Amino acid sequence: MQNNNISSVLKSVSKPGRYIGGEFNSVIKNKDEVSCRFAFCFPDTYEIGMSNLGVRILYDVLNKDKDVWCERVYAPWTDMKEKMEEYNIPLCAVESGDSLDSFDMVAFSLQYEMCYTTVLAMLKLAGFPLWAKDRAEDCPIIIGGGPCVYNSEPVADFFDLINVGEGEEVLLEICHLYDKMKKDGSYTRSAFLRAASHIDGVYIPSLYEVSYNDDGTIKEYKPLYDDVPKKIKKRIIEDMDTASYPEKLVMPYIETVHDRIVLEVYRGCIRGCRFCQAGMVYRPVREKSVETLCKQAKCLYDNTGYDEISLISLSISDYSELPALTDSLLEWTDKSHVSLSLPSLRIDSFSDELMRKVSSVRTGGITFAPEAGTQRLRDVINKNVTEEDLMRSVGIAFRGGKSNVKLYFMNGLPTETDEDILGIAALAKKVVDQYYAMPKPERPKGLGVTVSVSCFVPKPFTPFQWEKQDTYSELMRKQELLKSAITDRRIKYAYHDAKVSFIEAVLARGDRRLAPAIAYLADKGQMLDAWDEFFNYDLWIEAFEKCGVDPDFYTSRGFGLDEVLPWDIIDVGVTKNFLLRERNKAYEGETTPSCAEHCSGCGANKLGGKNKWCK
Amino acid sequence: MVQVNETKRFLRFKFIKRGSLQYISHLDLVRTMHKVIVRSKLPLWYTEGFNPKPKMIFAAPLSIGTESECEFMDIRMSEYIEPEEAMARINANMTSEMQIIEAYYPESKFTDLKWMSYRITLTPVEIDDELVLRSNQLLLADTVEVVKKNSDKTIDIRPLIKSANATRVGNSIVVDAILSADPSSFLNPEYIVKYLKEKGGLLSDPDLTSEHYEILRLKAYFADMTEFR
Repeated sequence: MQNNNISSVLKSVSKPGRYIGGEFNSVIKNKDEVSCRFAFCFPDTYEIGMSNLGVRILYDVLNKDKDVWCERVYAPWTDMKEKMEEYNIPLCAVESGDSLDSFDMVAFSLQYEMCYTTVLAMLKLAGFPLWAKDRAEDCPIIIGGGPCVYNSEPVADFFDLINVGEGEEVLLEICHLYDKMKKDGSYTRSAFLRAASHIDGVYIPSLYEVSYNDDGTIKEYKPLYDDVPKKIKKRIIEDMDTASYPEKLVMPYIETVHDRIVLEVYRGCIRGCRFCQAGMVYRPVREKSVETLCKQAKCLYDNTGYDEISLISLSISDYSELPALTDSLLEWTDKSHVSLSLPSLRIDSFSDELMRKVSSVRTGGITFAPEAGTQRLRDVINKNVTEEDLMRSVGIAFRGGKSNVKLYFMNGLPTETDEDILGIAALAKKVVDQYYAMPKPERPKGLGVTVSVSCFVPKPFTPFQWEKQDTYSELMRKQELLKSAITDRRIKYAYHDAKVSFIEAVLARGDRRLAPAIAYLADKGQMLDAWDEFFNYDLWIEAFEKCGVDPDFYTSRGFGLDEVLPWDIIDVGVTKNFLLRERNKAYEGETTPSCAEHCSGCGANKLGGKNKWCK
Repeated sequence: MVQVNETKRFLRFKFIKRGSLQYISHLDLVRTMHKVIVRSKLPLWYTEGFNPKPKMIFAAPLSIGTESECEFMDIRMSEYIEPEEAMARINANMTSEMQIIEAYYPESKFTDLKWMSYRITLTPVEIDDELVLRSNQLLLADTVEVVKKNSDKTIDIRPLIKSANATRVGNSIVVDAILSADPSSFLNPEYIVKYLKEKGGLLSDPDLTSEHYEILRLKAYFADMTEFR
């Protein structure tokens, strides 16, 4: 459906196809026949947002309810934002073209910390007050969800309601409660939020008072009323086989980042790498059966016409039925000219057989993630892979015709020394040597090895949550050290800007005192910080200074073991005791086996869920 | 002139691309159609080799910002299918802004398509009959010079214009034009808008919401001006 406000400027903006909507399989309902209009906002561009699996799932779940109409909203590119401001065009939903003030709920998916300024920019374009406390009775309920809410404190004051954990069930419960209170006349904004706080997985930031100690650390989180929970327990979907999964996908007209079928194979991760937040917060592991997955794949193929199916999860090769799954899929995918891709391969489980199955149709590069340059450091982070695993895997890749290998590493990891950094260069060189050790006729043409290094950010709910982050100058020194150690022309070295990682760490580990600084940036017109061309480090530093925030307090200071952490208000299942045990083992260089080998008692089993490994 | 396609391998579809779909580029249209025909479960013929693809050919790619009632695509089939059946299946897999309006096994080739007609609607802030008269004079001039896009070369597009005339409809100037669609000398109707803007002083600032123009492609013709099919 075309929106007349937007259409008047479409001829004068870049990529107008981002704004038109009207895609096949998008859901149009009669707004007079629904009781809850739900705007699902993605604080990044259409191309990024359309690729997000969480949005695809929740759009489908909400629209399956006849009383709810869920529509999509994306951030405009900067040229469109300027036009909207110039001609007073409000932010609109893609389906109906209606401005956001005609909605009941406006939810944001918070995928990465650098999207926070975009969220605020979108609230401004919609004409809503930034701060939850300033919103009038008739303003839609502003909801936050997604991976960032495991510590949403820096943006908590901008949201009326936060959904902690998987949203399939809880979002509908919120809509139903809203509908019920509207119908029986008990609805007021505050009465609704108070009642919603009783739903598991719902966090109402305004119902807590935070106090601080003299040294700036948090003293306590105090619920304002007795009936408000002291901690918010993460919600999970218990049974992945009966959980709702889309049968159709909204088909974008323009090319998106992941323009393919994405089949979610399981949730959680059996590994427990000590730097990885996803590996902890999505526990317990819950698998789908081969039967369910095959049914979903075929159905999605019939309804989309995509020629690629991507099997995704945190570590696809850990799926207990992977050979059976790929065999069943290949029975029809090859004939239908559909290729399979497995984006998250571990180097200790990569095999010739897997290689054949995924490369039958397509060529391209392959990515492995050793994460650290020496065995000592890989043990500290509990990566549980060896140099031998890597050499075996790249050998398979080369023999399978892949000549472009990308290796992911991190720098700034706890206990890291220069020796570990130099180990990255040595490992990359060994990959090159492995290629040349192959007889010439067997080698694929055009060797390319890329070493991609990101900076470690100590994330909440990981065994490294108390760690300090290396300072900017230390991270830069390490990057330079590695750069000088990579002398082979066939090795390409790519590294992340440590300035971004520094800001990311402040936002990931921050508390409610950061909110004014984020609002300051939004007032300066800042948005799309996740894009290099718009990230403005100096403006962030200026915002911190103006708002009395010391960024080092959240980064290079490190957090005390007995300190109240900003995210202690959330219960993700995994206990603080387990994280502490893992931290101690890290310092001993001791590894922890995967859930498949041995239960280490992380605590996530108390959340329930139909799963294979939990005791 | 018309070559007969004896094997009837290709099925031709004439389709519309209207409304907001004018903002979809040709490349994105091809990508979209690929998925449309796959989910329509047509008996598609696939190319041989490492990366098999269905065979689709499009006539006279449309540029962004132009609507059309006259787009053509040929798709190679692996076996015979009733054109009406194929058309119904495809239409069920597209939205109302893009629909097949005719399907048939063609006897012509896209290289036989020589001319296309367009309706260009320009809506300036203010309109008077003088402006319409001036537009007509400009369109009838012996030379119609425009500066080529992405270069500073001036070219005379007169030979590429079969006919063009302006009339006033309400507050708009409507230009009906038949322009060359020959692959070797294709004329983008945007040049007509550009010409009238530069030489006639129309639409000085098309960014303004009150001033705008629309282009609609209407029909396709053979060299002898019979309708292309």
